[in-house]
Amino acid sequence: MRILQVLNSLTFRFIARYVIVLVTTVSLVLCLLYAFFSYNYFSDLRDSVVEELDTFEAVFRGQSLEGVKQYIDDQGAVPASTSFSYLVTDAAGQKLAGDLPSAPRYREFVGGWLSFQLSLLQSEHASEVDFLARSRELDSGLTVMVARSFADAVESGGLVFDTLVRAMIATLMLGIIGGFFTASFALRRMEQFGQRLSRIVREKGGTERMPLEGEEGYLRELTLLTNRMLDQMSVLMQGVRQVSDNIAHDLRTPLTRIRNQLDQLRSGLDPLRQEAVDRVIEECDELLSSFNALLRISALESGSKSSPDAELDLAALLGDVAELYEPLANDKGISLAFYSPAQLSLCGDGDLLFQMFANLLDNAIKYTPEGGQIELRLQSALTGGARVEISDTGRGIPAADRQHVFRRFYRLESSRGKEPGHGLGLSLVQAIVQYHQGTISLANNNPGLRVVVSLP
Amino acid sequence: MNVLLVEDDPSVGEFIASELATAGYNCTLKSDGLEGLEAALRGDFDIVVVDRMLPSLDGLSIVSRLREAGHLTPVLVLSALAEVEDRVKGLHSGADDYLTKPFSMAELQARLEVLYRRANNPSETQTRLQVADLEMDLLSQEVRRQQDLINLQPREYKLLEFLMRHAGQVVTRAMLLEHVWGYHFDPQTNVIDVHVSRLRQKIDRGFDTPLLTTVRGAGYRLGSP
Repeated sequence: MRILQVLNSLTFRFIARYVIVLVTTVSLVLCLLYAFFSYNYFSDLRDSVVEELDTFEAVFRGQSLEGVKQYIDDQGAVPASTSFSYLVTDAAGQKLAGDLPSAPRYREFVGGWLSFQLSLLQSEHASEVDFLARSRELDSGLTVMVARSFADAVESGGLVFDTLVRAMIATLMLGIIGGFFTASFALRRMEQFGQRLSRIVREKGGTERMPLEGEEGYLRELTLLTNRMLDQMSVLMQGVRQVSDNIAHDLRTPLTRIRNQLDQLRSGLDPLRQEAVDRVIEECDELLSSFNALLRISALESGSKSSPDAELDLAALLGDVAELYEPLANDKGISLAFYSPAQLSLCGDGDLLFQMFANLLDNAIKYTPEGGQIELRLQSALTGGARVEISDTGRGIPAADRQHVFRRFYRLESSRGKEPGHGLGLSLVQAIVQYHQGTISLANNNPGLRVVVSLP
Repeated sequence: MNVLLVEDDPSVGEFIASELATAGYNCTLKSDGLEGLEAALRGDFDIVVVDRMLPSLDGLSIVSRLREAGHLTPVLVLSALAEVEDRVKGLHSGADDYLTKPFSMAELQARLEVLYRRANNPSETQTRLQVADLEMDLLSQEVRRQQDLINLQPREYKLLEFLMRHAGQVVTRAMLLEHVWGYHFDPQTNVIDVHVSRLRQKIDRGFDTPLLTTVRGAGYRLGSP
């Protein structure tokens, strides 16, 4: 897992790309250098062979075949691999003079250049030596071939190649190490930046901002820009919320007026019309209650986060909630069990806590089928504070929806249009939990839903 | 009944005033805190209704100034619900009831009636309550209807006691939650109705005249129809 993380990290990928480019460049330079070296060497070698042929021809013109033989013998004292070798043949191809065997196996190159391999005894052991050769026809069918070994070239070429490779490896190593440090420093900062940003974004409505680096530069610019963007986002979010609050607030009064006027209107009507007006009044009440819930949630969210200081007995409060809802559950054929220590005191707002647990129990009763069970369990948490668990045997909430159900007006596809409700009950619950600096989580009860509320 | 209403939002104030007037109340509207206090101090009102937020003097200060001056006129505080702990503060300042906006006129009227009756019939220590043929002995905690003993759970007893103390008046669901259960909250469902219908089963079943009736759109009333 850890290795995979490293492999996936931006730093690693960046460095890998850098190394690939570096290796390619360095190899290319290496090949070019080597080609340049060989080209120079062979061109020198060719020049020397042509020069020797010219000398040889001059010797032949002046002293004929005898002088040539003498010349060859004079040269023969020098070791074969570093000197010229000769072969003089007549028109029929018979060897007349020279230290090369007659008719070696040639490879022909362009421009009359030949190459062959000979086994020579060198410093007590035989080795294959490569020769470069060129023939020239002299007078009366005589042909001379001058050859020169390029074993030296191969050897020094190898040496040059070795040196170059070593130098390149050193360059590569230094490049990689240097690149790694430079890149990882810059990229680690980028990665930290990304991680911190994703944490801020994950935390809904977070007020946290990116810390400003002391150092001037692009990262500081980016931080400033990001913070400005986050500010703008939260202003926009607040704006949207404010607008919806304002709408709810401004619509409440006229709606209340309509509702009350309908109420007065109703008394003068016949029963059939009264029923129709009653339905309209009911709808007004529902609208009003969702406006109220919306405003209440906003008030709680924007309200002071200072924890409420009134001490209360949560066991007694939950007992009251359970007692209030038990008849409702029993009417639906659901058993409601309440487990609690005798007393558990904490600081909180009693009305709000009552509202919260009432909403949760209400949901549990609403979504649990006949014959189901609901358990309300209060325990003191290990970390201090209280842990309240409400579990039912209803149809639960699919895992994918669990993070969304706290959103305002969010309703499960399966309950939309079927069950009454405005999709604000759980938003209010969450707002109350957060107001008390607690946490709430939803889990599967197999079957059903288990809600766990922790209060400090 | 003479009601003084101190409310700075003209549309809300006029609306409530006209609604109260239609319902037969004699309503005076003031839109400023100090003016409201002056009017209240003159003392010819049965009930004072003040908004929490007012120009020049806020609602809670009006209540405490009134009480300092020795006025016992019942006061009901209205509040937009932006503030969470305000209810408790409101009641501590000497107000008799606290109603968060928006409310239905039925809710307001029911509360005004209760406040008015309470102020004008100072409850001498009673030992028994009686509504038609339903009797409650507060000492032995026995409830009888036409001599038949009715067996009630503790909460049902408290519910019935509250209804009997406000016999003939409309009692809203919110009032029941506040006084019988002691919590101020907004139930999402008909949870109160279930309790009331259980109580109704016990006191009205088998008798010709139902005593506990539902007042549509408002709440319940206990008493002979």
